[in-house]
Amino acid sequence: MNVAVCVKHAVDEGELRFDPAGRPLIEGAAGKMGAFDKNAVEAALRVRSEVGGEVVGVTVGGADARKSLKEALAMGADRGVHVLDEPHLLNPSRTSALLAASLREAGQFDLVLCAEGSSDTYSGLVPPMVAERLGYAYVGYARKLGVTASEVRAERSLEESIESVASPLPAVISVVSEANEPRYPTLIQIMQASKKPVAEVRAQDLLSAGGTHSVTIGSMFAHSTDRKRIFLEGTTDEAAAKLVDALRKEGVISV
Amino acid sequence: MQLFSSEHQSMLKSFRPSDYPEHMEVLSSLGSFMESELLPRSSRFDSGQESIAPYRRRLMEHGICAIPFPREHGGLGLPFLIYASAIELLGAADASTALSVEIHNAVAEGIMRFGSDEQRSGLLPLLLSGKKLASFALTEPASGSDARTVRTLAERSGKGFTLNGSKTFITNAGEADLYMVFARTGRGPSCFIVEASSPGVSVGTPMLKLGMRGSRTAEVSFRDCEVPMENLVGAEGEGIDYATAILHGARIVVAALNVGIARLAYDGVMRYSKTRTAFEKPISEFQLVREKIADMKTGINAGRLLYYYASCLKENGQDYSSEAAQAKVFATEMSLRVCDSAIQLYGGYGYTTEDLHRPWRDARLLTIGEGTSEILRLLIASRELARAS
Repeated sequence: MNVAVCVKHAVDEGELRFDPAGRPLIEGAAGKMGAFDKNAVEAALRVRSEVGGEVVGVTVGGADARKSLKEALAMGADRGVHVLDEPHLLNPSRTSALLAASLREAGQFDLVLCAEGSSDTYSGLVPPMVAERLGYAYVGYARKLGVTASEVRAERSLEESIESVASPLPAVISVVSEANEPRYPTLIQIMQASKKPVAEVRAQDLLSAGGTHSVTIGSMFAHSTDRKRIFLEGTTDEAAAKLVDALRKEGVISV
Repeated sequence: MQLFSSEHQSMLKSFRPSDYPEHMEVLSSLGSFMESELLPRSSRFDSGQESIAPYRRRLMEHGICAIPFPREHGGLGLPFLIYASAIELLGAADASTALSVEIHNAVAEGIMRFGSDEQRSGLLPLLLSGKKLASFALTEPASGSDARTVRTLAERSGKGFTLNGSKTFITNAGEADLYMVFARTGRGPSCFIVEASSPGVSVGTPMLKLGMRGSRTAEVSFRDCEVPMENLVGAEGEGIDYATAILHGARIVVAALNVGIARLAYDGVMRYSKTRTAFEKPISEFQLVREKIADMKTGINAGRLLYYYASCLKENGQDYSSEAAQAKVFATEMSLRVCDSAIQLYGGYGYTTEDLHRPWRDARLLTIGEGTSEILRLLIASRELARAS
């Protein structure tokens, strides 16, 4: 079974700083492999250990993205494909076009695994777009996978239900974080990852046109909540009565 | 908290620019492992709500112990400096785990340097991968800094030696699979590997300690404990020389561990001093607070530079005993000052909150353990006087 796994060198949300107006400082922000991408890599490795084959890690991004690709290799992917492109924070149309083109070049894949979304922008648009461009079946939000030579069975984790589906191969599958517990590569695996083959492809060699911008970011802000700062004074009984009144006015309770 | 700080990264890069990418990957991976697995649990380890054992094991499986050992023994063949740096990160993540791992690895180094080929090939792969845990048993109730006076006896018997005596303040006691024991034969103090499961080995109840509470410390006694001849490490009567050599290396690591503890305290204070207000401004605006911050930072960087230098001398095969002692004396006393300043800046919260005074309690051990500051100052002075003559 030939399995490709797409990983993104995402903005490290833990290290992200904001300007005084609450806008994230994306320029020069530290990056790391998307948290859910690790679940996708883990899922790919488990498929390989069950049915055999090869796992190829694929990433689209600047020179820094090599770090995330190497992490996938350290976890156990056999080889990597790095599509060198200018970093774009959110351009799923271009990213999916580059991924699809590089996958077509890198081999015949039975399964393409992705995370449910990246841990920075979390649009979740890339996996279905890749499926569409490749003409593969798409199964989104899988929490459990069973793969045979000809089909994949998956449990999809939906908002309020679990859906069991079967799909023919080849297929693109996005996995949710509850799908597995990603392994930590050991230090020896990290050192050996440097020796695994990585093919570097330039974005402009894959796409003749620049790739359309399907999404425009209007604005991006840190989430903030305005508090009402109501102080309730008086004895405990009085304050409790005032609290009930206040909650009723806000529509929190309706007694 | 980012354990492998950008400052630490740039210091490493300036010391070893050519291998930096690989070293950076190794330490970043260890750092993020510790950030998610150990750092969030360190207060539970301290309060005894959770045992360090399963996390220590995973950390060892990850490869921390293997870092400075040659590849033919199951090591990663990386510089000692990288191992010491890893212990600095671990000291910040959880000092108790760092202490336990550091002692374990000191035993592994002793076996590599002084053990037989059979001991090396039999034990090192197990120790470096964390399949077995080791403990170093030198100190006795009446023999500390004057290690030559060990009273534990190893008498020749049929197939080897019979051990009788007691060791105290033994880290990893009761958890270790094997002990490196120093006991007196007819030729003087000698070094033995004793399996924890051997008949005649008994471990006392864990001692209550000021700090390092996540690590287990107890007395270990030997009563008519038979040790086969092949478990003698090196030559009979050379035990103290081996112990001394092992401790020289361990002192570099202990220095690194204390730099890590100081960093933990410092990072907390940096966050607090910017948000805590007094007289309507953050306390970081006050000059006397700034003085403390400046001294803390300078001490941390100086401590790291000292253990870096001693590590480089060790890697190059030069005499590093004085520099290792300097690093340990400075870093342990520095980390106590830094942690003390942190408590001072936190005020009443610092004195009453376990998590805020834990770094001080942890740091307090290591001006005593593995060579007291006093003995080490004598060592430094005599080494330097000899060098100057």
